[in-house]
Amino acid sequence: MPRYAMVIDQSRCIGCMACVVSCKRENDVPPEHYRTRVLEMVQGSFPDLTTEMRSELCNHCDNAPCVNICPTGASHHEEDGTVQIDRDKCVGCKACITSCPYNARHINEEHGYADKCSFCQQRLAEGKKPACVATCVGGSRIFGDLDDPQSEISIILRKNSHRVLNKAIGTGPNVYYINQYPKRA
Amino acid sequence: MAFSRRNFLKYAAMSAGGAVLADTPFISAEARAQAEGGNVKYVPTSCEMCFWKCGAVAKVVDGKVVKLEGNPYHPQSRGKLCARGQAGIGQLYDEDRLKHPMILDGPRGEGKYRKASWDEALTLVAKKMQAIANKYGPESLAMMSHGSPGDYFTNVLKAMGSRNIAFPSFAQCKGIRDVAWELTFGHKPGTSCERVDLENSRVIVLFGTHLGENMHNSQNQEFAEAVGRGAKIICVDPRYSTAASKSSFWLPIKPGTDTALLLTWINIVISEGLYDKEYVEKYTVGFDEVKEAVKEYTPEWAAQETELPMSQIVESVRELCRYAPNVVVHPGRHYSWYGNDTQRARAVAILNALLGTWGRKGGMWLPAKAKFASFNDGAPAYPPASKPSLIKGDFPFAGGEGVTQVLRDATITGNPYPIKAWLVAGTNLMKSLPDQRLTRKAIDSLEFFVAIDLFPTETVMLADVILPECTYLERHDGLFKISTREAGVAIRQPAVEPMYDTKPAWWIGSELCKKLGLDEYAAKDNWEGRMRRQAKAWGIDYDQLAKHTGYVTIPDSEKPYITEDNQPVFGTFSEKIELYSDELEGEGFDPVPKYEPIEHPGKDMFRLIYGRSPVHTFSRTVNTQWLWELEKENEVWLNKKEADRLGIKNGQYVVLENQDGVRCNKVKTKVTERIRHDCVYMIHGFGHNAPRLKRANQSGADDQQLITKYIEDPITGGTGMRVNFVKIIKEA
Amino acid sequence: MELSITGTNALTYPVMHVWDWRVAIYLFLGGLSGGLMTMSAINYLRPGRKGPLQSVCCWQIPVLAPILLTIGLIFLGLDLERKLHGYLFYTTFKPLSPMSWGAWIVLIIFPVMILYALAALPDEVKGGMKKGFIKNMADAMAPHLAFLAKLNIVFGVLLSIYTGILLSTFVARPLWNTAILPLLFLASGMSTGAAVMIIVAKSKEVKLFFTKLDIWLILGELLILALMFYGHYTGDAAHQAAIMPFFDSSHGHFPYFLSIVVVGIALPLAIVLKFLEVTGKHTEEVTGFGLFLMNSSAILVLIGGAIVRFALVYAGQLSGYGYTMM
Ligand SMILES: Nc1nc2c(c(=O)[nH]1)N[C@H]1C(S)=C(S)[C@@H](COP(=O)(O)OP(=O)(O)OC[C@H]3O[C@@H](n4cnc5c(=O)[nH]c(N)nc54)[C@H](O)[C@@H]3O)O[C@H]1N2
Ligand SMILES: Nc1nc2c(c(=O)[nH]1)N[C@H]1C(S)=C(S)[C@@H](COP(=O)(O)OP(=O)(O)OC[C@H]3O[C@@H](n4cnc5c(=O)[nH]c(N)nc54)[C@H](O)[C@@H]3O)O[C@H]1N2
Ligand code: SF4
Ligand code: SF4
Ligand code: SF4
Ligand code: SF4
Ligand code: SF4
Ligand SMILES: [Mo]
Repeated sequence: MPRYAMVIDQSRCIGCMACVVSCKRENDVPPEHYRTRVLEMVQGSFPDLTTEMRSELCNHCDNAPCVNICPTGASHHEEDGTVQIDRDKCVGCKACITSCPYNARHINEEHGYADKCSFCQQRLAEGKKPACVATCVGGSRIFGDLDDPQSEISIILRKNSHRVLNKAIGTGPNVYYINQYPKRA
Repeated sequence: MAFSRRNFLKYAAMSAGGAVLADTPFISAEARAQAEGGNVKYVPTSCEMCFWKCGAVAKVVDGKVVKLEGNPYHPQSRGKLCARGQAGIGQLYDEDRLKHPMILDGPRGEGKYRKASWDEALTLVAKKMQAIANKYGPESLAMMSHGSPGDYFTNVLKAMGSRNIAFPSFAQCKGIRDVAWELTFGHKPGTSCERVDLENSRVIVLFGTHLGENMHNSQNQEFAEAVGRGAKIICVDPRYSTAASKSSFWLPIKPGTDTALLLTWINIVISEGLYDKEYVEKYTVGFDEVKEAVKEYTPEWAAQETELPMSQIVESVRELCRYAPNVVVHPGRHYSWYGNDTQRARAVAILNALLGTWGRKGGMWLPAKAKFASFNDGAPAYPPASKPSLIKGDFPFAGGEGVTQVLRDATITGNPYPIKAWLVAGTNLMKSLPDQRLTRKAIDSLEFFVAIDLFPTETVMLADVILPECTYLERHDGLFKISTREAGVAIRQPAVEPMYDTKPAWWIGSELCKKLGLDEYAAKDNWEGRMRRQAKAWGIDYDQLAKHTGYVTIPDSEKPYITEDNQPVFGTFSEKIELYSDELEGEGFDPVPKYEPIEHPGKDMFRLIYGRSPVHTFSRTVNTQWLWELEKENEVWLNKKEADRLGIKNGQYVVLENQDGVRCNKVKTKVTERIRHDCVYMIHGFGHNAPRLKRANQSGADDQQLITKYIEDPITGGTGMRVNFVKIIKEA
Repeated sequence: MELSITGTNALTYPVMHVWDWRVAIYLFLGGLSGGLMTMSAINYLRPGRKGPLQSVCCWQIPVLAPILLTIGLIFLGLDLERKLHGYLFYTTFKPLSPMSWGAWIVLIIFPVMILYALAALPDEVKGGMKKGFIKNMADAMAPHLAFLAKLNIVFGVLLSIYTGILLSTFVARPLWNTAILPLLFLASGMSTGAAVMIIVAKSKEVKLFFTKLDIWLILGELLILALMFYGHYTGDAAHQAAIMPFFDSSHGHFPYFLSIVVVGIALPLAIVLKFLEVTGKHTEEVTGFGLFLMNSSAILVLIGGAIVRFALVYAGQLSGYGYTMM
């Protein structure tokens, strides 16, 4: 059984937002709602500026508060390590949304269930990469199987220093960030 | 060729449901659909959300397009689509689309129209055009266009005997650059795309050219690849752009002084002996003249002129030379900046030549080698022009795409001869041409104005007859010749049937020919038939294109780098790279670029500069749901210190007033450290004045509204549009 | 820093506002009914209570408790995005989910409350009833009143402590994520319970007793509140930021600032009033003024308790690890 994860190479992110739109179309996310976002953080003062680009989505945490809090079992772990929502079981109590340290969830206002990034489960089933990864113009989003030591992401994580968001909270995220800022002369 | 082994294995693995994941939805559109079964259909086609024309694959379920993917074979898309390409479905299902032909019912500009049948509308258009041609001569019919619809109406006008056809992609865009490079290398720096080998570059220099915001798909893929590999970026931009944020050297240059920097760099490259001596020796002429001419441009002087630290000027160019020739000074694309832009482009071309980047890995690849049999489906030659066309104005080097504003001005003055009718297809002239007042004046002075478009834009809603084209996802176009490192052919075909009462441009043009009694110029049967015949003539398997890959490579067309037996061919008179241009000299222009200072803004005035949003294409996508959501209005970027001085808060709405007292819509300020103190920046394409575009109407401000002044480049006619100064008015 | 985010949801950006007044009311009424269970039970069981078992004490309280809890639950139900799916709470039990616990606890608590309420019905009330199921049940339960009262003390405490536990488990919301929050809700639940006792009870002796008791409860509540802020203040950046709104009178945070001010006045004032009453001269009957003192202090306590719930529910959602802390 694969253990899916994503690596995000921040230095390659050019803020094109193809991921954001692609995700909405693939997963039919209603207007003004999003499963993924891109942050642009600029620091310093003219002309000495640095930028961090960071695309964010559900971290499919190993120790997921959203799963723990869910009273009906709608939010659950799958064998492939991903965190999914069983829409039929969701009462829309929103506890999972409040419980996510990453603000990764929202309510699908059309149907009332909680929604979030699913790692494009439906595409994985068809042998496709997630929509955002497939169309990532910068090649910043890299997806694969941690259990396969030869997978692209396994290799990248072996070779590059990486981090997860809010490690200290202990949710055990499965979205890893690598970043080499351009060196400034 | 098309079925690469790697992809095939991927596909095998996919259908076996293995853990190997493919980037792309298909190997063969048909095979993929079969693999998925059900009522899914995959249609390979080409994107038209901008002019990069990426290969796209439409996923169609129950006759609805549900997802667009990048075509993995198409070198412009490589399996990916940008945000705009992904949102193409939003253009298709935009409820504000033009839905049926409309005929003006009341005075022009009041937007009162009545619904009409195609037959009625086309009959009227034909009648009017014929009448005007008879009265004033065919040359009094002009056409302005951009993008794929152009060809079909070019055909109509030429058949009628007019050659007054112009595209904003010349004088408002890349024409200037193309001319400069043709003068230097005898080639444009690219046709389908700039021929820059970014993915292999060690150093990339960008003057403007805001990659990351300027979102041409494959080029941005290569740019990110380069950044990821650790290539050094030297970004020359008064604004801390996305590209600047990836750069090792950001040179926040004083706007309008780029040529000073370029000539100084050339001087350093030569005086420090950093140029590629062999290459220069072998392939160029006029080195000594250049050497002489640039002596005066010292780093000290440049530092003053450009307001850049001298150390930065020197270090950056040395860094560039260290990795030459595997480097590139990007030729740029939008070039109509200051009215002396050909010489800036020449300087860029000369610098590339000195570094020997042309035909070198990481530099600029050589044009793909492919011959396409000429094909016009047996249509007869066009009748000669009734009168010489005006499209080149009095600009000796203006190109075949024509100088748009010349036609506009002639329409107003009636000199040298009257222009009485416009046919406008796929360009929003009110937004694309500088000085809207003149554009409006010209339109008001027309006897007849027909627009072919998708949306009720401010320009379209001034037309007498509006002909609604169907979107690119509902029509055939092309075949498209694609010239990247390799030559190839791509297809556009409908993913779904046209919605409403809309028609493809080819059909509209063809029907128009018939109504004008020019049947021999009309489509023989339908466009697909024509495309099949064209494929045959080119020796390409049409079904391979249409059913499977959407793109095919012309074998052995890829010869990117100079080798013993792959020598570059320069289409100049000397058949060498002309560092010194006799041609320019012949017309009385500087044969080697000279620096001409430009006027700078006075106290409390800011230079208005503009650029792109990665999620919008000019004015055409603002109304597209998923793109509008991401960016509903543009902001005006204002330097933090200046804002504090003027007491303007971040997010505060202001109004800009230019040197001619013209004001724009209220616009949000982005108070930022990311821009120089002497200019303000805006994204082009917003501030629609088009009530029928429910989302886009009046959202944000229109830079074009404030660009009432423009300086024509004497060599090409390009309209320098960054010469307007604005002051900021707080009330709003 | 210049931050721009593309692709945010209104529910969580710029600040999270997932739960609103409905949840706050639920937490308040939940805590209150817990308080009522415990307080009324204490009243029965306390030694030295004068007068016959039923008549003296206010039977209305045990009846009121389940009613208030029901109202609270109705508000909670109103907050569900898919109300019709509510039954799903009872198709499974999730040991790790305080939400799930809450759902089941309620199922156990209701019978305990109702049987207790029946048992506590005094004869004059029962007399007024015609024969029937309720009357029979009431008669049947009456002998077990003492036992039921003991149960109610336990479950009352459970209930009001639970309302705090629920929030305290949210690691993502620093303001809530402290083990002291359940104690705070317990104290405030109990004190509001006592307050209602004071208002409803007829007997002066009972009123006085709970007035005294409430002084300690309020002192406890204030102490815990102070400790909570201290704990956050000495915590990490996120916890420090979490209490900011309460100490920032600027436009955006003013309501929170105000809430602290009001609570800071209401509760101490209540204590003073009670103190006056307790130490004051006492005739057999309650003087009009005495009644005023006791009731107004009780109302102050109720207001304070409600504000604590509302302020914490809203401010808790402002707290978090933000978009830039990650
Ligand atoms: N998303 C998206 N991408 C597009 C388009 C689109 O509509 N949307 N349009 C496409 C088309 S047709 C074109 S032509 C291109 C245009 O895109 P480019 O060719 O990149 O346009 P430029 O004007 O070169 O670049 C704009 C940048 O120049 C900077 N600039 C302004 N004044 C000066 C100056 O005096 N000196 C220097 N060095 N920099 C300056 C601005 O700050 C801005 O960052 O974009 C293409 N790509
Ligand atoms: N101030 C200012 N002026 C500029 C620029 C700038 O940056 N600032 N940029 C310049 C540049 S680089 C360029 S290339 C030009 C671009 O100028 P334009 O090509 O005019 O750009 P748009 O504003 O996108 O207008 C496109 C029009 O075509 C319509 N359209 C879109 N798709 C189709 C289609 O499939 N069929 C038909 N029939 N119509 C279609 C749209 O509805 C819209 O009305 O503008 C130039 N002018
Ligand atoms: S990121 Fe949030 S939603 Fe996703 S698994 Fe972790 S806690 Fe749950
Ligand atoms: S909203 Fe749905 S998924 Fe989230 S916790 Fe409640 S039931 Fe579970
Ligand atoms: S993996 Fe799928 S669902 Fe998750 S962000 Fe990417 S596209 Fe959206
Ligand atoms: S698609 Fe990739 S490069 Fe573009 S914004 Fe998303 S993550 Fe960044
Ligand atoms: S660059 Fe984007 S919008 Fe332009 S053709 Fe490609 S996908 Fe379409
Ligand atoms: Mo352009």
